[in-house]
Amino acid sequence: MIARLKRLRPRRAEMSRGVSQVRAGGGAPAPVNIECPRESDVLDALASARWPNRVERELADHVASCAVCQDVITVASAIQTDHDWTWREANVPSSGQMWWRAEMRARQEAIRDASRPVTVAQGMAVLFALVVVVVGGWFTWPSIHGLFSALSSGDAQSTTASTAFASPLFMSIALAMGAFLVLAPIAIYFVMSEK
Amino acid sequence: MFSRELTVSDLERLDRIATAAVEALQMDEDTFRAFYDRTARQVWAYLARITGDRSLADDLLQESYYRFLRAERAFTSESHRRNYLFRIATNLAHDSHRRGRGVINVPVPEENEAGALADGRDLAAETARRTDLARAMATLKPREREMLWLAYAQGSSHEEIADSLGLRKSSIKILLFRARRRLAAALGGQR
Repeated sequence: MIARLKRLRPRRAEMSRGVSQVRAGGGAPAPVNIECPRESDVLDALASARWPNRVERELADHVASCAVCQDVITVASAIQTDHDWTWREANVPSSGQMWWRAEMRARQEAIRDASRPVTVAQGMAVLFALVVVVVGGWFTWPSIHGLFSALSSGDAQSTTASTAFASPLFMSIALAMGAFLVLAPIAIYFVMSEK
Repeated sequence: MFSRELTVSDLERLDRIATAAVEALQMDEDTFRAFYDRTARQVWAYLARITGDRSLADDLLQESYYRFLRAERAFTSESHRRNYLFRIATNLAHDSHRRGRGVINVPVPEENEAGALADGRDLAAETARRTDLARAMATLKPREREMLWLAYAQGSSHEEIADSLGLRKSSIKILLFRARRRLAAALGGQR
């Protein structure tokens, strides 16, 4: 209650800057007060439990004739009562428990973030290997098929087989696959061992 | 396929990363615990009332403080820090509202037995009054609920409300007036 009283003080300055007005909607524009300079007095009276029985006569008379202050009384008293109850009912975790949970979560998130690049690199490597195998198989299949045909016909020295192995396309694909098989594990090792 | 055992160097590296993450938190433990003890109940009450859901308020409370701790911000004062915390809580409540959770309902106050309070007030009457407020609040827009609670439960100034809700200070006066009027009308209509 006292803390709230202290916190209500700065509002006095805001309210003493004058009474603003807005136009009511529809028909002839009628000025409507949107705030009252006595609002902070009303809030003080509420917060210190002086309202309605122990409040100054003059303030009670003002409230009786001021629509803004009447709204403030209705709203603020209901909200403050509810706040006091809700505050008492609040069953919040202890500060130590909250700190411990935050610390654990920060650790877990940091570790998960740190290991995410490795997971991505692993996925990329697998995908790349599959693509190389499929593409390599696609291009070399005629040569391999020719070789096996030659072998099955018993003519191991046939020109078909030697031509298949000596073709520039077959050689370049074989070299690429060999290089990949050698370099990929090394690359993966470096990615996984140090960021 | 590519999984492997973690080496000691891996574990040390992960531990260094985790320790750095904890050190990067907004506050040290003692400062946080003091700040939390000062503000947690207020934030919970705010979340419980603007969402109308106690268990959601529990979840959002934890998330609010965690995000607050992770925020890379310099605060100039206790008030600035507190407003920022309320802003996080407000944004989380909005997010959960958008996701369909936290649609305002009318929470039944937990203690509704007949009897008298220590200060002589009637418990049943207080409970009925709170239920009336919950119903009336449920008719307001989320922004209006937040504004009224900050103004009249927390005693926040217009500047603090603007800071907590991410609004311009100049618009608070009229928005607060409208919200107050709507709530007063809703409360009046229930009597």
